[in-house]
Amino acid sequence: MRRIVLPGEKVFDSPREVESCVKDANGTYATEVSVFYDDKVVPLKGVYVPHQGEGIIGIVSNLNFSGYVVDLNSPYPGRLSDQETMEDLQLGDVISVKVQVVTEVNECALIEPQRLSGGDILEVPAVKVPRIIGRNGSMLNTIKEFTGTDVLVGKNGRVYLRNGNVGLAAEAIMKICRESHTSGLTERVTAFLTQNR
Amino acid sequence: MTEKRELIRNGKRANGREDDELRPIKITVGVLDKAQGSCLLEWGKNMVLAGVYGPREVFPKRDVDARKAILVARYVMAPFSGVEGHGRAGPNRRSREISKVAGHVFENVVLTEKFPKTMIEVQMEVLQSDGGTRIAAITAGVLALADAGIPMKDLPCGSGVGTIDEDNKRMVLDLDKYEDNLGKSDIPTILSPRTGEILLYQMDGYLTKEQLLEGLDKVQSKAVPRLREEMARALKEKYGGMAENGGVEQ
Amino acid sequence: MILDEVKEKFIKGVMREGKRTDGRAFDEYRKISVDTEAFPNAEGGAWVKIGDTQVAAGIKIDLSTPFPDQPDEGMLSVNAEFSPLAHPDFYPGPPKPESIELARVVDRGIRSAESIDLKKLFVKENKVLGVFIDLYVLNHSGNLIDAAALAAMAALNKARLPKIEDDKIVYGEYTGQLPIARSVVTTTFEKIEGQIILDANDHEEVASEARFTLGTGDGDKFASAQKSGNGGFTRGEFEYLLDTALEKGRELRKLV
Repeated sequence: MRRIVLPGEKVFDSPREVESCVKDANGTYATEVSVFYDDKVVPLKGVYVPHQGEGIIGIVSNLNFSGYVVDLNSPYPGRLSDQETMEDLQLGDVISVKVQVVTEVNECALIEPQRLSGGDILEVPAVKVPRIIGRNGSMLNTIKEFTGTDVLVGKNGRVYLRNGNVGLAAEAIMKICRESHTSGLTERVTAFLTQNR
Repeated sequence: MTEKRELIRNGKRANGREDDELRPIKITVGVLDKAQGSCLLEWGKNMVLAGVYGPREVFPKRDVDARKAILVARYVMAPFSGVEGHGRAGPNRRSREISKVAGHVFENVVLTEKFPKTMIEVQMEVLQSDGGTRIAAITAGVLALADAGIPMKDLPCGSGVGTIDEDNKRMVLDLDKYEDNLGKSDIPTILSPRTGEILLYQMDGYLTKEQLLEGLDKVQSKAVPRLREEMARALKEKYGGMAENGGVEQ
Repeated sequence: MILDEVKEKFIKGVMREGKRTDGRAFDEYRKISVDTEAFPNAEGGAWVKIGDTQVAAGIKIDLSTPFPDQPDEGMLSVNAEFSPLAHPDFYPGPPKPESIELARVVDRGIRSAESIDLKKLFVKENKVLGVFIDLYVLNHSGNLIDAAALAAMAALNKARLPKIEDDKIVYGEYTGQLPIARSVVTTTFEKIEGQIILDANDHEEVASEARFTLGTGDGDKFASAQKSGNGGFTRGEFEYLLDTALEKGRELRKLV
């Protein structure tokens, strides 16, 4: 049973360590407007904070002596050393990149950059990414299959789309974002893709 | 010369409300396109538009805090917000003070340690005012923060409470502008519903300890539950209330 | 947040194919709504939406002393606030050049067209009525000027005169409508790589090299003009602007 919970709303009667929750002597409480199901609390909105090992899509936003500052669709920028890249990057270049390490203040160093070109970018709330990918990548595979589009989903909510029916793929992804709090979503998205193929 | 309006008529509040009755409240979130979170709140004749930006990079850079997000609250009244003459655009001393105490409410509940070195801004624009504007503005700010997905440990709320009779004894909730101007006292009060803690408390008036406690109890037992209901409705509205069976409007 | 460079490339790419990102024609306005009931405490008010852009106008009428060189005329003052609500780049502080420009362009249109007969605002010697229009930008998704001008004019057309008693304004009581002689609106164009569009959204504005705003009033006359931005306009383009402004102006004035 899914239900929407609000900041300060009790989700468990005893204090527990739960992601996106706080606890006190009387129980555990949600901290954001979230969906509560399967003993999990999943926020419906929020900014992206980088974590080690995550694959994300950045945009080069500044150049400095040692390399590049990369916009991550986050309050925190990423830094990419020019030792990491074979080619010179320009301002505005879109790159897929991995988070190598994150400091205590959430700033991060990036590695394994790859320039992406010829495609389009879509920005969605980072919290929706798990829904877009689906269990074992099933949702994402469905989209790729029906549209013939190459879709790269960064954990930071940036999606890179190229080839095939980019428009339809983007529409499907936005539908997932709007309805991410509901059940039966996989069936509805498949139906949507079939109808509009 | 306008005559002094009476606040009590035939034993009842002249505006027709019961002593513990709040004005009608109408809340919509997500009304602005650019702000991360936003809320339009109408409380009686008050109208406040609040918007939140952040967490984002700190500006000016020298204010940055390596341990947590800095929270900037701004309360501003539009020059056309009141019935009286043309106000000044921009903040004045009163609005600066209100900005400060509003900031204290938000700082108490927002989990700022999750976002070091960033800034969260809450802008509250009073477009129409009719008494109790700071409560309306802070409520709108709280909702805008929730709408923005900024983690908070509670949703603070409350109302004004004060005395409106000549004997300085009759305590009523949610004073409108006339009751505030012509009455004997006004105590804007905001609580954290989960813990019952007082997060905002100011007063104009000359009252006994018993009266202050009476006022606090009224806010806690009558105003807070009503506000919580309205706030919950507004936040859940865009998700169709229940999340089962994909009950979603496009 | 996508960087301006990326937005600009995208917009220009789409426009080269003769299209706009939201599917509109080059001379098409987004959906417009005008609400003149929003601010009852003011003498007049309007909340205008053009697409996602939202601008509010509030009118307060106060007693003032007249300017020494116009002792028998009332006062008109137009001010604009770009609220930090409206855009991540808006911060509190002294007015930016854009907000001053917006206020002055809206002011000039109303003043040149003599929408308000300022002589009718004379009360007695050394006392006149001042009409204060405050434009509040609440959400910036492009074309703030047209939204602001529309809001100001819609508010003026509904504005009420406050009662005056013993040389003081009696707030909350009114003696009729503010007399308005004619309506004025603006039409703003942006030029991108040689192509001209109307009612640009904020992404299109980032890609623009020049802007032209034309104010038009009843009788198919021009009440104001403002060219902005570093690019230039040819004479041929200018004629297109004049014709289009007159046509669109007639449609927009129906909304106020």
